[in-house]
Amino acid sequence: MTAPSLAAARPRASLVRRLVRRVGGWEALVGIVIVAVLVTLAVLAPLVAPHDPEAIDSARILGRPDLGHPFGSDALGRDVLTRVLFAYRVSLSVALGSVALAFAVGAPIGLVAGFRGGWVDGLLMRPIDLLLALPALLLAVALIAIVGPGALVALVAIAVIYLPIIARLVRSAVLVVKAQPYVDGARAHGASEPSIMLRHVLPNSLGPALVQATVLTGFAIQIEAALSFLGLGAQPPTASLGIMLNEGRDVLTLAPWVEIFPGLALAITVLGFNLVGDGLRRRLDPRGMAR
Amino acid sequence: MSPRFGYLVRRLLLTIPVLLAMSVFVFLMIRLVPGDPVRTMLGFRATDENVATIRAALGLDRPLADQYLAWLGALLHGDLGQDFVSKAPLTTLLSQRLPVTLELTILAMAVALIVGLPLGVLAATRGRWTGRLTSGFVVAAISVPDFWLGIMLVLLFAGTFHLLPPSGYKPLVGDPVANLRYMILPVLTLASGEAAYILRTTRGAMDSTLGSPFILFLRAKGLSEREITFRHALRNAAVPIVTVVGIQFGVLLGGAIVVESLFALPGVGRLIVTAVNQRNYPVVQAGVLVVAALFILVNLLTDLVYGVLDPRLAEGGET
Amino acid sequence: MTVSPLQPGWGRAVDADTDEVLVLDRVGVEFRVEDNRISAVTDVSLRIDRGEIFGLVGESGCGKSTLALAIMGLLPSTATVTGRIAFQGRDLIGLGEREFRALRGDRMSMVFQDPLTSLDPTYGIGDQVAETIRAHRDAARPAARERALELLREVGISAAEQRYDEPPHRFSGGMRQRVVVATALANEPALLIADEPTTALDVTIQAQIIELIRALREHHGTTVVLITHDLGVIAQVCDRVGVMYAGQLVEIAPVAQIFAAPRHPYTQALIAALPTSGQARGSLRVIEGQVPELSAPPAGCRFSPRCPVRREECDRVPPVAIAARGHAIACWNDPATRTTAEATVMASGVTK
Repeated sequence: MTAPSLAAARPRASLVRRLVRRVGGWEALVGIVIVAVLVTLAVLAPLVAPHDPEAIDSARILGRPDLGHPFGSDALGRDVLTRVLFAYRVSLSVALGSVALAFAVGAPIGLVAGFRGGWVDGLLMRPIDLLLALPALLLAVALIAIVGPGALVALVAIAVIYLPIIARLVRSAVLVVKAQPYVDGARAHGASEPSIMLRHVLPNSLGPALVQATVLTGFAIQIEAALSFLGLGAQPPTASLGIMLNEGRDVLTLAPWVEIFPGLALAITVLGFNLVGDGLRRRLDPRGMAR
Repeated sequence: MSPRFGYLVRRLLLTIPVLLAMSVFVFLMIRLVPGDPVRTMLGFRATDENVATIRAALGLDRPLADQYLAWLGALLHGDLGQDFVSKAPLTTLLSQRLPVTLELTILAMAVALIVGLPLGVLAATRGRWTGRLTSGFVVAAISVPDFWLGIMLVLLFAGTFHLLPPSGYKPLVGDPVANLRYMILPVLTLASGEAAYILRTTRGAMDSTLGSPFILFLRAKGLSEREITFRHALRNAAVPIVTVVGIQFGVLLGGAIVVESLFALPGVGRLIVTAVNQRNYPVVQAGVLVVAALFILVNLLTDLVYGVLDPRLAEGGET
Repeated sequence: MTVSPLQPGWGRAVDADTDEVLVLDRVGVEFRVEDNRISAVTDVSLRIDRGEIFGLVGESGCGKSTLALAIMGLLPSTATVTGRIAFQGRDLIGLGEREFRALRGDRMSMVFQDPLTSLDPTYGIGDQVAETIRAHRDAARPAARERALELLREVGISAAEQRYDEPPHRFSGGMRQRVVVATALANEPALLIADEPTTALDVTIQAQIIELIRALREHHGTTVVLITHDLGVIAQVCDRVGVMYAGQLVEIAPVAQIFAAPRHPYTQALIAALPTSGQARGSLRVIEGQVPELSAPPAGCRFSPRCPVRREECDRVPPVAIAARGHAIACWNDPATRTTAEATVMASGVTK
């Protein structure tokens, strides 16, 4: 007679509980909701926004928040909520674009460097490491100094900042995966080196980098806002949260809502991404390789 | 101590190629500008005459290698060049600006450590709820953009309560009290996100260390929790904490760029930003060079501190 | 009590004047893990006398380490310990943390399995030994250092003076384990619990550590509980042996009898499974089945699902019966159980 089976002993976890566990905790669930809502709003901005972002209304200059204008109005009478929504699209696109670009360039570099090792590794990683020798924002500013300000430039600059981080993460993961028995097994089966690299090593090495990418997206939004704030990112008439935050300073004491709401929107967005990233980390990378 | 000394020397020597590579990058900056950098720089003042003069003065008409060596040579003599718009010597300009940035960054890091370290240790050694509360607080603090926080602080302390000035600066040497009045808000702005980060890192490092097997043995020896936490766990956790402090210094330098602009502090960061907006390339170059060099030196210092803290690292071993 | 030659001025703690160093009476340990309860140790009773080297043997996960940690009071807060643990006549369960701390490292010490991770990597080995001394004795630094040096030499660290400040990673596994032993013995404890002290070491070093333990008993009269899954080690140095299975203690006997005449089916299977040099070729004897899940263990004797001589009574926990002089066993099959007038569980130490 065998011991009673364990499954019968433990009560079946509720659906919610299982969902929470899948995403890595309550906080992560909140994060996912936030990000989903915000991304939807950004995408649907033209449909969802209550007013025209450029519509100047001299009657409503520095108008207080009310039902028609929940975030109030700015120095030109424009509806802040609408402008936030549109600025959002720009900020989000730049952030997502930069992380995607960093991933697209950095991951292959890390993969090849880690897989081939030897002089290839040295050749590829030296310049990468040098990029890390400069503080991030400084590097971005320097790049923008060369090419000139703009949203696209900011996107590329942020991608350049993140490239080394992604490359190094993928590389460390590759080093671990490379040593696994199943890689040797594939070789014994006669698989070619490139196919091993792409079919076996690559998929298993992306975990920590993906986790970090989520968090990096959040910070990318912050960096983009900082750059725009300094006048180095998106240029008017393109809207950007950073620009709004800069403009809000002029009317700070008269109409604080012009400054408060865009900032809050920014903070909540980054929070959302950070929560998701933390949750993902708990699921995919509990040992904290992605630091 | 001999292997440790070797480590120090090796680490020092390694810094040199990094500094050189960085100098090459900065040097190339102006040459990478699309179009004619000199025309862009001079803007409406760009007559053919002026352009030619400046080009010669900047040495842009000579071969690349010559230019670099000349530039490097001048650099090693302490000459950062000249601001071609205002004719001011850049070395002087930067030596005036650098202390401001340093004061801001160092004070911010100090405040962040004073707040973050003890709270991090606390979060790691007390119960579950302290842990969860701090996590929540930390994530929120990291997510808030620091310059927005700065503006909020200005709104509160300067705009509403008129306690502190919203911007401006007085040098430390002449009038420390006034200096502090101007620096409080900028330092707090920069320090808050940083404190949260340090808190999280400290807590993570302590959690990790306290889970190590040797801690159990220390308990078996009959040592008190306090002794274990401070004499052993903290010392072992110090390495990852120091790592983060080193990296974060760079982040702070970047943040200083924004905070200086926000509070109109006459530091290097604000200098760079203004120069970029004016297309004043020589100034940008000089500024970036100085800040980057500073960062590299701080990293060196961090590594040297490791060697002291963890003998295994000094000998090239694994942690 | 034996007097250590390395004595003067150590303000030696006075050990309670009793022969019974450790008495366990129906000790159980239960863990609370996420709504589940895992009973890692159930109903363990035994008595260990002064100067004995008592071996505790069983496969991985049988609860021997948990039991050791329970004795030392080092279990996490998710664990509940029931029953009675008496050290030199003093009750340990429910003892305040402060008093426990005074005992640990002083009157009772523990040595763990992996010497590579037992020491703090950022301090010199000498300091780590001295630390134990200063934690329990009123000793100034130089005096503690002297004593630490003595101890290091005693456990066989050559050039102790020169190597005093070296960090652990400069030493091999065997050397580190010696340092660990030196630390454990610094204050001449009455009881030393060694949890798999040789498992992580290779065979030659193993032999040295075993020798060390034996020398300890000779020179200091230390009582040792040696926990291991290696019957070979048991054979070399233990006086009596306790066999554990799935958290229960199934048999206790003097070492010779455990090997020559094991009475419990599990012990018999263990001994039979040992490969011998005279063995003919063929497969090794194995014990069929698997160790039960400790969150839902079988009622009664936990070995019963795998037992070749299982009977109906085995659904109830068998009482401990005295089979012979110094030999106790918990099995319904054993004639001793049937002839015991009262099948009560009792502390199984037998008068020698």
